[in-house]
Amino acid sequence: MGSAERPIRRDWISKTLAGALLGFTLALGCSGIFARLVTSLPPPIEAQLAMWMVTPIWLGVLAGSYAFASGRRAWLWLGAANAVVFGVFAAVRAIF
Amino acid sequence: MRSEIVRVYKAVHTWTGIVAGMALFIAFYAGAITVFKEPLVRWATPPAAAESAAQVVPLSEAHALVARTLASQPAAARELRLHLGLAAEPVERLEWEVREEGADEHDRLSSRHFTATLGDDGTVHAHEVERSHLGELIDVLHRVVGLPVDVDETRIVMGVIAALYFLALVSGFIVLLPSLVKDFFALRVGPNLKRMWLDAHNVVGIGSFPFHVVMALTAAVFAFHDGIYVVQDRMIHDGKLGAIFQGRRGSSEGDPRDPATMVPPDEIVARVTELAPSFEPTMLQYVNATGPKAMVRVWGHDTRALEHRALGGFALVDPYSGRVVSTEYLPGRQSAAATVLTSIFALHFATYGGQPVKWIYFALGLLGAWLFFSGNLLWIESRRRKAKKRVANGAIPVQRRDVRLMAAATVGVCLGAVCGISLTIVAAKWLHGHVADLNAWHRIVHYVAFFAAVGWAFFRGAARASVDLLRAAAATTLAIPLTTLLAALVPSLGMWARTEPGALGVDVTALVLGLVFAGMARSAARRVQEGPADSPWSAHAPPDPEPVAVTEPAVEAELHGEHAG
Repeated sequence: MGSAERPIRRDWISKTLAGALLGFTLALGCSGIFARLVTSLPPPIEAQLAMWMVTPIWLGVLAGSYAFASGRRAWLWLGAANAVVFGVFAAVRAIF
Repeated sequence: MRSEIVRVYKAVHTWTGIVAGMALFIAFYAGAITVFKEPLVRWATPPAAAESAAQVVPLSEAHALVARTLASQPAAARELRLHLGLAAEPVERLEWEVREEGADEHDRLSSRHFTATLGDDGTVHAHEVERSHLGELIDVLHRVVGLPVDVDETRIVMGVIAALYFLALVSGFIVLLPSLVKDFFALRVGPNLKRMWLDAHNVVGIGSFPFHVVMALTAAVFAFHDGIYVVQDRMIHDGKLGAIFQGRRGSSEGDPRDPATMVPPDEIVARVTELAPSFEPTMLQYVNATGPKAMVRVWGHDTRALEHRALGGFALVDPYSGRVVSTEYLPGRQSAAATVLTSIFALHFATYGGQPVKWIYFALGLLGAWLFFSGNLLWIESRRRKAKKRVANGAIPVQRRDVRLMAAATVGVCLGAVCGISLTIVAAKWLHGHVADLNAWHRIVHYVAFFAAVGWAFFRGAARASVDLLRAAAATTLAIPLTTLLAALVPSLGMWARTEPGALGVDVTALVLGLVFAGMARSAARRVQEGPADSPWSAHAPPDPEPVAVTEPAVEAELHGEHAG
């Protein structure tokens, strides 16, 4: 607490958009990795679980995005996270 | 926790809460009632005449009726329900629905219900039966936050509200985190009313936090799942999602099959109960029974297991071979992964743990409605203009316009929903037999009462309307048991008083709730008359800035001395 704190910019629109859009793509990427890696389940069950995991991740990221120091940082970090997740997804897709 | 972060999330909590609060009030109030949808429909349905129950064909002889109905009624061939237990309604053995052309798959309010009997010559007689849509109407209000129909557009509205609700939950939790232990165990009852309301808001919010997280996330999924599947189909499943859900049960092409060659219904039931002795079947649902992928879902309950939805769970049976094809949705016999899925549904629909859990959900639902109501009150209270004590003849300040409007909207919308729902329940008995389309009237009665309440709140101002509308809520809710009482005392009115535990439970619950509303109306009346005048909840607050504040300072000072000094 105190003077060491960097002020947090509000940036409501920018952070909300970053969380809503990049959070959604991030969640989709995670569900894609899940669906490709988990192959032991009956396909209809697996598809439903993959759908169900999207919303908690998506809204969790959206809720977390207001903790970024600025809207710009939210876009940068979530963009980087998306790049990592989709990189893994592409790799998993190629291997499995 | 950095205090800076707490401040940011406090703003998130305030604004998501105030935007979503009233819609969530309706969703939770109607949702709490939806837990007891089935007893409510029973309450609203006149008891069947004893002779019509006696005419129903016994299950052991139902095979011919089922087969001939499937063969002659195309709508029944798509989906037909065969009710097993006929201890109470519905007394018809068979039932199928005809949806309006182009109706949304979730919109069951427009569907018509049919049943069939066999004539002496063996021909099928199909005829329409009346079904009360009261339970479904309240369920729709619950599902789409008070909007009239459950279609794609209203589900998107609901999804956005659910997302805001989730944000409000997480941010509220973060705001409270630094003082969690201190605030959770504190309910400071005392002269500081705002403190008391805030403490109560926090206690209820933390106490039911897991319930609310489940509700926010499941509601968001129910709103967005179609869209998510479409995107995932392209991205993950390479366009094969349809095939995945269809299963590998052969092609849908082929000649129509003769339902007379199906296994009789009592034998289908026997195959399932042999497999799962603790499972109690209630209904057979024939799906595409004359097609190559004919299936029967044997629905029922197993009180010792999680169930997918209010109907329970089902075993999938091939009606032509009698083989149990899948137990993936059979309570207690699911795989681990399927149990995970079912538990998500069960956690939303309260379909586990029997009656006690249903009552817990009912209480949590009502508490949730109160949570959003109190959130709005706190928003209003934080923006209240207080009279300055140090100014000797201090005039009572005029409250901000947005505060006055929000106060009026809060009591109008929330109490309007309560009045509307209670009144439309009462209408089930009073209008029965007097109007042609009772189900349409249910909707009209609800919305007329709702909008009348909202209009009244803006017309009278929040303070006075809060008392009026609480009295109206008490009156309309108490009218539910009083109507039943009247029906029992004066049979010539043509109404009915059912005495099954479920239907009586509706009356008792409404009696208790009505008395609670009456108690609230009393304390609201006291607050409005005797509470501090520098509040949007005072009848003595200057309603309009110019005339009162400028032309009658003497009256103002007098009021101030009397009530707020």
